[in-house]
Amino acid sequence: MRVLRWLILPLLVVPLSWVLLTGFSVNPNEVPSALIGKPMPSFSLTTLDGTKLDSRALRGKPVMINFWASWCPPCVAEHSVLLDAQRRLGGRLQIVGVLYQDTAADARSFLATHGDPGYASLQDDDSRLALDFGVSGPPETYFVDAGGMVRGKQFGPLSAAALREQLARIGVSDS
Amino acid sequence: MLPSLGHVAILIGLAVSLYAAVAFVLGGRGRDAVLLATARQAMYAAFGLAFIACAAMVISLLTHDFSVAYIARNNATTTPPFYSIISLWAALEGSILFWTLLTLGWASLVLYRYRARHTALMPWVGMSLALVAVFLFSVMVWPGNPFSRITPVPLEGSGPNALLQNHPFMGLHPPLLYLGYTGLSVPFAFGIAALLTRRTDEEWLGVVRRWTIIPWIFLSLGIVAGAWWSYEVLGWGGYWAWDPVENAALLPWLTATAFIHSSMVAERRGTLKVWSMALVIATFVLTILGTFLTRSGVVQSVHSFTQSAIGPWFLGAIVLALGGSLALLLWRLPDLGDRGDPPRAVSRESAFLFNNVLFLGVTFVVLFGTLMPLIFQATGGQRISVGTPYYNGLNVPIFGALLFLMGVGPALPWGTASWRTVRERFTLPIVAAAGVLVAAVALGMRQPAPLLTLGLAGFVGTVMGDELLRGARSRARVRGEAPATALWHLATRNRRRYGGYVVHFGVLVMAIAVAISSTMARQTTVTLRPGQSATLAGYTLTHDRLVIEPLAEDARVTETRAEMTFAGPQSGTLATALRDYPNSTAAIATPAVRTALGEDLYVTLLSSDPKTGSVTVRVFVNPMVVWIWIGGAILGLGAAFAIWPDGRRIPAVLPAPEARRAEPAASVPAPVSATMEGS
Amino acid sequence: MKGLALPLAGGALLALAALALLSALQPPVAATRLEQAAALSAQLRCPDCAGLSVAESSSGSAQAIRNEVDGLLAAGQTPDQVRQHFVDRYGEWILLSPRAPIAWLLPVVLLVVAGLGLGAWLLRARRGKASPPLVAAAAELQRVRDEVEALDA
Repeated sequence: MRVLRWLILPLLVVPLSWVLLTGFSVNPNEVPSALIGKPMPSFSLTTLDGTKLDSRALRGKPVMINFWASWCPPCVAEHSVLLDAQRRLGGRLQIVGVLYQDTAADARSFLATHGDPGYASLQDDDSRLALDFGVSGPPETYFVDAGGMVRGKQFGPLSAAALREQLARIGVSDS
Repeated sequence: MLPSLGHVAILIGLAVSLYAAVAFVLGGRGRDAVLLATARQAMYAAFGLAFIACAAMVISLLTHDFSVAYIARNNATTTPPFYSIISLWAALEGSILFWTLLTLGWASLVLYRYRARHTALMPWVGMSLALVAVFLFSVMVWPGNPFSRITPVPLEGSGPNALLQNHPFMGLHPPLLYLGYTGLSVPFAFGIAALLTRRTDEEWLGVVRRWTIIPWIFLSLGIVAGAWWSYEVLGWGGYWAWDPVENAALLPWLTATAFIHSSMVAERRGTLKVWSMALVIATFVLTILGTFLTRSGVVQSVHSFTQSAIGPWFLGAIVLALGGSLALLLWRLPDLGDRGDPPRAVSRESAFLFNNVLFLGVTFVVLFGTLMPLIFQATGGQRISVGTPYYNGLNVPIFGALLFLMGVGPALPWGTASWRTVRERFTLPIVAAAGVLVAAVALGMRQPAPLLTLGLAGFVGTVMGDELLRGARSRARVRGEAPATALWHLATRNRRRYGGYVVHFGVLVMAIAVAISSTMARQTTVTLRPGQSATLAGYTLTHDRLVIEPLAEDARVTETRAEMTFAGPQSGTLATALRDYPNSTAAIATPAVRTALGEDLYVTLLSSDPKTGSVTVRVFVNPMVVWIWIGGAILGLGAAFAIWPDGRRIPAVLPAPEARRAEPAASVPAPVSATMEGS
Repeated sequence: MKGLALPLAGGALLALAALALLSALQPPVAATRLEQAAALSAQLRCPDCAGLSVAESSSGSAQAIRNEVDGLLAAGQTPDQVRQHFVDRYGEWILLSPRAPIAWLLPVVLLVVAGLGLGAWLLRARRGKASPPLVAAAAELQRVRDEVEALDA
């Protein structure tokens, strides 16, 4: 009995420190997507140019869906990566922007200031599509393979390295 | 120049507190009074050095010395002096510096006050406090140097966190909270000293009780002030969100409160020593754990500090403090045998013990809930959230039971209670509770939580009122004093008991206010053009105009302000604003709160359209919120009253009374309430 | 009066206990769609706030989720289906009260065990020979003084 008492020490200290220690390796704000391995949500929305884009039109080719807003500073930071990606990979990869809680006018002036990558950005006025993807805040980017399955999610701004890693998941080599 | 001075002060502070720790150990072992005196003086010196470092930081903040990274990140040339000063504790490194100052302040106070008393314990108390200081100074020397420099020196700093420079309460609530947190290292130090010296008799318990209540007062006021800050600043209409940073303050408060109750049983019956010691240790470990959780960036929180290298250091401190003191406790377990018997099932003691079970229950729920996202993440990788519905779902019933015990405990005599006593004590309060319930239902209240709270409040209030009246009436008769004088004398001669009642009364006021404000608030979100009105709960709110202009005290801040007129139970004008700080992506709400005793009118600006002048506002009518703050003040006053020194000396030795086997009603040393049965 | 008080007190105690049980065990069933929507939004986490519920927050996404909840309820979905709708998209993370049984069972079981353990300890002590309690001398004197002085007998 005497000796057993001492067991309480490791039983309390070890799990507690282990749980707290694992906390260091994870960003508490970054939440993995529940959509990974599931089909991409379908949509039919108006682009900034006023044309309609249906998700069925994207089938058969890898897709990258980028949620962004003109009021979001990290979106400015990742914008050059997006411009570059569209320029280099536009042929093999379909990029679609989705406005997150933003007005079309603000978005247009953002593109005028920071450069228009040329791909369509969708107006998601009631945030329905953002909710379907489980977006918690811009920028967030989802990677969908040619079969229409969600394979990756980037939380926060894309860097060139993060983009390369994510694109590998949907079979687009970026070298 | 000044930053270097501050940094040097920290370096010397580390050396000096290391010396103090060693000298306390050597002096304590060799009973060397001279060495112990130098150790004490080293601790006073460490306090002085921490003060110099804090002063250097404050002056550098006031003079906007951006060569210091902390100041460049948390200050700007336009920051008003008041917010420059309080930036000392507005971010990570500065708050640790401030924390060190307060810890050493408490340590010096205790070491000075007891320099000639508790001679066997004090060296080890000093050693424990010195080790805490060593840890804090080391953190500032290595991972969290508040004076680390940057080159090139920026011309302008990024300014304080927008949320923290938006309300003067920021100058009030962290210092109160930190005074509480840091003060709790004193009872811990006494606990460790008692264990080390095997002097686990009643000596340490008395000192520790007092030195738990003092920081407990600050912690309580800090928590209430924090809730008030959240209510006045964050603009969501509430005051408590079970955020990790709030939980971090609540956890040590809960265990300290449990200890304050259990120590009364321990003191009276010579029992529960292990339990009391465990509570003292748990309280201290929880203060570090809370600091770790809010400063390491491992949990998501409203105002978590930036992620930094400090996390592992605090984790090490948790493991050391928890593992070390637990090992010491286990080692000394044979010395902690109880001298007394367990209390009777129906007695004030047992009410206190059930109180402890419930307080520990809430502690477990809050701790488990706060850590659960981490636990799930560590064990299965699943991400979960734990929020208000969880905490309220489990804690509200426990709080209800605690409220009930708050009435039961004081009504039962110490020792044991006869059925007759129980019946006499409880009949009136239960009838009163039923009366309150019936009245509340008749007035149209239907929700169970506030009904239950009101019923219990009627019960507890009647118990306390009954007690007070019995005592005062008896004293008035015996001494021929006027009733009010009798009541005052009764209370000042029994500070602990009647101070405790005042604390309970404050809790009662807060409980009612929380129950009603959280279930009966009304709110609406409306968009108004200038001249348009909205109505809510008897108020008519008219939007007069939208003003967008730079803030008078800081031109870099743009204020978008809706000026409104309101009429109803209160009337007047108000301005609710959104402030755009240059260093914040989201605009910071500055809600308008119009407080009255009955209810608050609370208006938050959500968005505005400069072209039409229309605004979207969220309007709350929150009943009784001000009573939470009033209840908190009552609680603080009551606790201060309870521990106020009354100048009476207690002789050290008295033979244990023999006549305690009988029913307390028949014996002389029975509680005032029991003795007055039948009178 | 005395005769009436006791049953009254007993009845009131019973009513209080029943009320406590009621409020502890189940929140009142949300009747209208509006109430259901309010209850649901209090349980869903606002994705772009720190720990606030969708009901408490006024952020854009909280507004969008409130609208979606309302829409789904209007389309005839049950509250459970609505919850699942958001879990499918955001993961368990979107729920402010975890659904894992251990989250609820562990605290309740521990509390019950601790309460029963304390009760058993107290009752065992009662059955054993009840010797007069030894009391710390100084504390005892303090108490006696307090009470005698209170009385001034």
